[in-house]
Amino acid sequence: MPKERPLASRIINLAVFILLETASLLMLSHNSTLQRLWIARLSHGFMAKTWGATQSVRNYFGLKSQNDELALENERLRETLRAYELAAKESDPAFMPSVKENGFRYIPATIIKSGTSSQHNYLILDKGSEDGVVANSGIVSSKGVIGIVDAVSKHYSYAISFLNKELNISARIDTSGAVGPLAWDGLRTDEGVLREIPLQFKYNIGDTVYTSGYSAIFPPDIPLGVAGEAKVINGATNEIRVKLFQDHSALKYVTIIENTRIREIEEISKSDNISGEDKE
Amino acid sequence: MRRTFALTYILMVVAQMLLTNYFHFSPLCMATILPMMVLCIPTKVETLWAMVIAFATGLAVDLFVEGALGLNALALVPVAFIRKGLIGMIFGTEPFEHKENISTRKYGFARVSFAIILVTLLFLAIYIVADCAGTRPAWFVGAKLGISLAVSYLMSAVLVNLLSYDDRR
Repeated sequence: MPKERPLASRIINLAVFILLETASLLMLSHNSTLQRLWIARLSHGFMAKTWGATQSVRNYFGLKSQNDELALENERLRETLRAYELAAKESDPAFMPSVKENGFRYIPATIIKSGTSSQHNYLILDKGSEDGVVANSGIVSSKGVIGIVDAVSKHYSYAISFLNKELNISARIDTSGAVGPLAWDGLRTDEGVLREIPLQFKYNIGDTVYTSGYSAIFPPDIPLGVAGEAKVINGATNEIRVKLFQDHSALKYVTIIENTRIREIEEISKSDNISGEDKE
Repeated sequence: MRRTFALTYILMVVAQMLLTNYFHFSPLCMATILPMMVLCIPTKVETLWAMVIAFATGLAVDLFVEGALGLNALALVPVAFIRKGLIGMIFGTEPFEHKENISTRKYGFARVSFAIILVTLLFLAIYIVADCAGTRPAWFVGAKLGISLAVSYLMSAVLVNLLSYDDRR
């Protein structure tokens, strides 16, 4: 065997090895799409496994507070349900409550990795294709929209967070009915900006902002936040600050929403485009 | 005429480029002598510099052949990284104590062959897995690894003496 090398020499060798391999991988990913996707898949899988392990320990110690929160939410939902049942019975004594098919399927999931420090944050969830998750599904919590599933592996999902400046959610102001894209402002984890609201639509500070239901990803009427101050952009539209109900820095449990009729909607949109092109 | 290691090494890099560019036997077969070349870098060269040489060699081949840039460099640096440990394991301390190159004349064909097979296997495993990038079935990867290892070993065994000559005049 060669002479024993000092520890420093071994560490330097290891560091140079890692440096050269990283450089090779970077070159590979920049010059070949196939390899770029492969490297991204490997790194996402590695990150998901690593963070999944640490997160499960953290989750264990946070179970009590989560249970309390869930119990409170259950109670709120029961109250709402009772109020609806009462109102329905008053108007129709023969009313029987039933679950109506609304075209959306719900899958509970846990966030095992999330970022809030960059302008393009993402999430990794502990549910994948084996659990029925598909790409382009919405992610919500009891307090609002969290993101959209971008890619799915067998056991994990990679999602674009709402805290990503590229993500827009179609949102509606409750009182005026004005609809516009809601996006993260890039500054705070509990604030967004509702853009392109025509000046003729009036609203009050404190009005609730909901999902519009105009996208095929999120169902309508999910409360997102409350409207705040507005400023006029180019003299044509309002840009309204929205204080979100969900603080994205403290988030663990979410629900993935799959629109089971999305293909039907896409097909009809496609046929509409074709007839539109024909007309031209 | 005394051959120098550097000149022979550079000529072999050029030979590898020609081989990769012009001799496509089958999708299941790739021939390489690069791992053997890195194995034969003189033992007096430290691991750090061996890795730099391997990286430069891989990059040079990547630049002049069809294929993804960085693939040869990615697979060749680990060969340089384990080179000293592997030589110590197979040939003992002698090559380091006497600062000798590895040669079939001194250490025997079997031991040199074993070392070539191990480094070539490491190189090919990394190269083929990264090249296929999860798009090929396991049988394809396995078959390509086996066939390429056999072809590359035969070529390396023939050429090893050009690089691992004794320094004695």
